[in-house]
Amino acid sequence: MSYELDYTVGSIPLDKLKPKKVRKNIELTLWERLYIPEIVRGMYITTRHFVINMIGFVFPPKGKKRKIFTVYYPEEKLTIHVAYRGRPVLVQREDGKEKCVACGLCERICPALAISIIGGERQCGNDMERYPVTYTLDMSRCVYCGLCEEVCPHEAIVMSDEYIGLAEYDRKNMIYPKEKLLVPVARLKNRIEYVREIYGKANYMD
Amino acid sequence: MIADLIEAIAKILFVFGVNMGFFAPILGWVERKQSAVMQDRVGANRADIFGFTLIGLLHPLSDTIKLITKEDFIPAGANKLFHTLAPFISLTPAMITFAVVPFGGQYEIFGRRINLVVADLDVGILFVFAFASLATYGTVLAGWSSNNNWSFLGGLRAAAQMLSYEVAMGLSIIGIIMVYGSLKLTEIGAMQTDFFKWGIFLQPIGFILFLTCAIAENKRAPFDIPEAETEIVAGYFTEYSSMKFIMFWMGEFLEMVTISGIIVTLFLGAWHLPFISDERLLSLFGFAGPNGSIIMLMMANIATFFGKIIFMIWFQMTIRWTLPRFRYDQIMKLGWKIMLPISLINIFITGLVVLLK
Repeated sequence: MSYELDYTVGSIPLDKLKPKKVRKNIELTLWERLYIPEIVRGMYITTRHFVINMIGFVFPPKGKKRKIFTVYYPEEKLTIHVAYRGRPVLVQREDGKEKCVACGLCERICPALAISIIGGERQCGNDMERYPVTYTLDMSRCVYCGLCEEVCPHEAIVMSDEYIGLAEYDRKNMIYPKEKLLVPVARLKNRIEYVREIYGKANYMD
Repeated sequence: MIADLIEAIAKILFVFGVNMGFFAPILGWVERKQSAVMQDRVGANRADIFGFTLIGLLHPLSDTIKLITKEDFIPAGANKLFHTLAPFISLTPAMITFAVVPFGGQYEIFGRRINLVVADLDVGILFVFAFASLATYGTVLAGWSSNNNWSFLGGLRAAAQMLSYEVAMGLSIIGIIMVYGSLKLTEIGAMQTDFFKWGIFLQPIGFILFLTCAIAENKRAPFDIPEAETEIVAGYFTEYSSMKFIMFWMGEFLEMVTISGIIVTLFLGAWHLPFISDERLLSLFGFAGPNGSIIMLMMANIATFFGKIIFMIWFQMTIRWTLPRFRYDQIMKLGWKIMLPISLINIFITGLVVLLK
């Protein structure tokens, strides 16, 4: 999947977009110093917006994109781009265990000191594997910088697209234990691919 | 005698009801909604009763309930008497001035002559100016008595601005008085029967001057330096809360209505419809009998007058949300160096034309 940036402003394609000429001299011309014509010009613009929007309010066009960009938030929600950094989550493998190996890099790089890990070892088939016995993320400290995701060598912690319901009345509720952070890998596929693409050079030398 | 009393009370109640019951509460909503529509936004639409939002019309109600239940705060060191008096002084003139504005002509119904104005004064315009300048005291007192630097600055600015624009406002209206030869607002209104005899065609410069000065008198947007919220918090009413705050708010809106009423009476043909004379309307309503047709004509005239007022309010709101605020020195320059000479020239030219005719 490629994530090309959309180089358009509004609906104007980039090659048609030209820098506007800015008149540098501050001295007003005689026409402008008469005030009235310029005021009428400004009022024409605002009145045009008023009339167009009033028609749009009274007879809403069907199927067309509406002129007003306001999103009625709780009822409508924007689709979130894959680059959005929501709350950090731990990736849960298909077998239900966490991908994290408790290397402690995220704990180390976290600028807000929000992560604390206690690592341990457990049996996995014939081998032993490292895993976090506790993985605590203090959401009242997290600054959503995404450094943990960048530094993680195992794609074990990524930023999800969740941003609803993170506010709490009690600070104690904002300390998230491991169980609250685990999210199945199937739901995070897009983000993991995106992470591979943007941090690929640093993390996946091939 | 009793009939006169009933008529007077009915007219007072009508004017009071329209101003306080319709315009004062609804203009807050109009201002928010119109600015939103002009700026491609949606505007206030969340207050609801049982899920009915009525396109935000319940917001004035909820605002009023909120403000009434707030604490009425008087800051320490404030002059309590003047601090309490100021909102009353600024609200009362706005309501009183509408008394001389005619909202209809003279009609003869059931042998009784009805003049649709609360007080038909011979010096109508002078009354308007006298009370409009009285409103300044409310602003200045509020600024001075609050014991707050922002309020004080706002009061100072208000005093300077009002003084400068009062002069140009008074002079800008002289042209129209000379053209119509009367100070009586009912007579000036009655003379504008023909569309091309409206004040705006006889006195175009006077119209622009008066509109500008009226907006400056009302302390609204391009001239809102007394309250300039980006510079001096809220200016002269920084220290007001609760009901007193509403009174300043209402005073501003009612002044806007009154100014629109005066502009409509002087320049926009008062209660007359363009191109349709009252006789034509009367013959159109002929089916309702002699008295019924006159009553219908009266209704049509009142509706025309308030329709024009609503248009003028829309126009003032458009100006308020289009133009940025002037700087203090720009306001003074505009008032003394531009408005005053132009109004004097306007008087001179009008005098010449009236004399040579």
